[in-house]
Amino acid sequence: MTFAPAAPAPLRYPIKQHRLDNGLRVIASPDHVAPSVAVNLWYGVGSRHEEPGRTGFAHLFEHVMFQGSANVPSGQHIALMQAAGASVNATTWFDRTNYFETLPTGGLDLALWLEADRLSSLLDALTQDNLDNQREVVKEEKRQRYDNVPYGDVLERLITLTFPPDHPYGHTTIGSMADLDAATLADVGAFFRRYYLPNNAVLTIAGDIEPEDGFGRAETYFGSLPAGPLPPSPQEDSMPPLGPADDLPREETSGPVPAEAVYVSWRLPARDVPEFDALDLLFGILGHGQTSRLHKKLVREAELAESASATCMGLIGGNSYGFAYARARDGVEVEELEAALLAEVDALLQDGPTEVELRRGKAQYERHWLHELARIDSRADALGEYATLLGDPHLINTRLSEVNTVELDAIAAAAAAWFGRDRRGTLIYRKDQP
Amino acid sequence: MSALQQPPIEPPGPWSFPTAQRSQLSNGVEVITYALPGQHVIAAHLIMDLPLSAEDREREGVATICARALDEGTRSHPGETFAEHLETEGAGLGVEVSLAGLQTILDVPASHLAPALELFAEAVIEPELTEADVRRHVQLRLAEIEQARANSSQTANLEFRAAIFDPSSRASRMNGGEPETLTGLTPDAVRAFHAAGFGPRDATLVLAGDFAEDPVAIAETALGRWQNPEQSHPAQPRIGPGDQKSILVHRPGAVQADVRLGGFGIDRLDPRWAGISVASYAVGGAFLSRLNAVLREERGYTYGVRMQFSPLRTGGSYAVQGSFRTDVAVDALVEARRLMDLGGAPITADEVDDAVAYFTGVTPLRYATADGIADQVATQVLAGLGEDYVDRNLAALRATTPESATDAYESLVDIDRLTLVVVGDADQLADPLRAAGYPDLAVT
Repeated sequence: MTFAPAAPAPLRYPIKQHRLDNGLRVIASPDHVAPSVAVNLWYGVGSRHEEPGRTGFAHLFEHVMFQGSANVPSGQHIALMQAAGASVNATTWFDRTNYFETLPTGGLDLALWLEADRLSSLLDALTQDNLDNQREVVKEEKRQRYDNVPYGDVLERLITLTFPPDHPYGHTTIGSMADLDAATLADVGAFFRRYYLPNNAVLTIAGDIEPEDGFGRAETYFGSLPAGPLPPSPQEDSMPPLGPADDLPREETSGPVPAEAVYVSWRLPARDVPEFDALDLLFGILGHGQTSRLHKKLVREAELAESASATCMGLIGGNSYGFAYARARDGVEVEELEAALLAEVDALLQDGPTEVELRRGKAQYERHWLHELARIDSRADALGEYATLLGDPHLINTRLSEVNTVELDAIAAAAAAWFGRDRRGTLIYRKDQP
Repeated sequence: MSALQQPPIEPPGPWSFPTAQRSQLSNGVEVITYALPGQHVIAAHLIMDLPLSAEDREREGVATICARALDEGTRSHPGETFAEHLETEGAGLGVEVSLAGLQTILDVPASHLAPALELFAEAVIEPELTEADVRRHVQLRLAEIEQARANSSQTANLEFRAAIFDPSSRASRMNGGEPETLTGLTPDAVRAFHAAGFGPRDATLVLAGDFAEDPVAIAETALGRWQNPEQSHPAQPRIGPGDQKSILVHRPGAVQADVRLGGFGIDRLDPRWAGISVASYAVGGAFLSRLNAVLREERGYTYGVRMQFSPLRTGGSYAVQGSFRTDVAVDALVEARRLMDLGGAPITADEVDDAVAYFTGVTPLRYATADGIADQVATQVLAGLGEDYVDRNLAALRATTPESATDAYESLVDIDRLTLVVVGDADQLADPLRAAGYPDLAVT
């Protein structure tokens, strides 16, 4: 059965941009459905900017940003925002750090003032006690989210298999305990001065505010902050795929896990090239959802796996990253599972996806993307993301039509260049032997 | 340094929960519709008044297996062709199994609603529930339990619910069933559960989003044919508390201890609900709550500690929960107990103001999306709360006083009768815990 796929309707989220004299990019996207605004700041610094021996530092620094500034006592950024009815948080990832608050419109000035105060004067309030306290909190976070969780070290192991240790993506955002312990007040100061600059940030204001009003308020609170020299970018040359076939990285580990598992990872092109979109769709067809190849074959038909999936992690610094995994059902040898997983990889590389699979992949992408833009807070985050990493927030409106232009031949070409069993790293996770 | 003064907050304007259109399909299914301009992904929740207490005691988990197998094939679209059609429409289908009832949930771009809702109805009305699908889902559920048992936080949650609810109640056991009841579950039992439990009577369909066509007409086409003269009508159970206990689950070598400290709570219909919402926010909900300000921001013992009341349809539970590195876990517990005690430190007017401002501030955004509204309305249906619940609750929050918040808290939180669950390294924790006021600690 064939029928013409319905092209997604173009999106028309209003987007206005303005740049302050100090280089701060401000994006406004009005939406008056709810009496709320989303304030979202993307700073162009993430774990890929960290120096050797200081892994985990960008994330530790993110915590320090809540420890007060010249006019804000420690912890009060969140407390004042919550008392204004805000949801507040921040996250750190390989390419960036974002800080955000979503709140009733009447608190917009307070949100901007708080963000500007810490950007202008964080170091005035920084103390050894504050740093030591947040170092402990971050170490607890690492224990809770990684060290005390089954398979909690998988991402770190896969990243290490896929990129050289000195590569910007060669370590994870959470970093190591030893490096967290080594971080000093001087490190915090230097990091702040180097990266936390108005001209290294994008401020997005989405929701119940008109663009000119938002730009005016941004000028009021951020306009007097001085620009600084932009930090140098870390290595952004694209590395080739893993290989050659007779020299593929492979690691075995074990832990107190209930099921053995196989993980296969690939170096991919950076997210700003069309090849990445093609591979993103390919990985979705391989391992996203109930009709994906891995679920159908390994979970549903052969009943070798209790779960199986694949995903891409789009990154901007020369390469991205993708992986597939399967967790073995009771009594299934992990080698058998690995062979079955690789057979699906082979089949997808050799024959490519079907027309229907591609159409389904695009339809699923459409729903996820529309969902992402449905709330002002995640829409603000997407605007900041596309402005910071790809230089153009308007891409959120054209994203679906871009993805829709990817055809089978483009997927075949991208797969031939980057995918397949001869370009993979492999991690085998076994159960601890009693 | 910024020369600008801290700006004041302008008070929020009036807001109320969106208004629904109500109608009924020809077979009696209630339809509640929210037209939401700009919400391009439609959320549809079909809510069945089918409490888990309707499961046979020796077949617990049957509702979950049935729900999970719904999209494995229908009589009209057998096997995986069903999911292929559904996913090609850009739709996602989910199920949610809670103590009060079952939900099947559809998310789909507005332009694909009609064909996707047709498939959604097939899954509910005429699932295949084949032998192979049921057996596989039982095995996957058993594997899921093993994963949960290997996870410290999930183990703590499971042990805690087993302890605080009356052990004869369904609430004390996992919603998805326990290994001993799942292992013997047959495809016939799953089909019998579907035949008896699924039907249009007492079913509610919530539809929210920016509709391209009349959603009620689409719903009538898809679900109006649904009939089940044999449908059973299980009653909603009342749930009671278990006995106070202190339990330490041994996890050799664990670097942290997961702590749950709490007890049996109340539901949203209890007149103390607004008061306890405010009080528990002050004690353990806000970032600078009494608990988090000390245990995280002052001591650095944890990534975060919180206190939460979790309502059921009747009754509920509450817990302080956190994960603490092993060498400070007992100190953290002792300190948490001290901070939970309002004796001499009642809830203050500032704490009430902050809590009310927070709850009223986050509400409009939470209900600005199709899935946010549909999810809330489904919760209201399952808890028997009525359509104006959000507005009534906001009014009750605004009427809360320091006294009413403190009274609600003190009537519910008996510091000397809290149930404790710790999951961590017993070799390091057992003796210090006994010495810290838990002489009856049971180590498992």
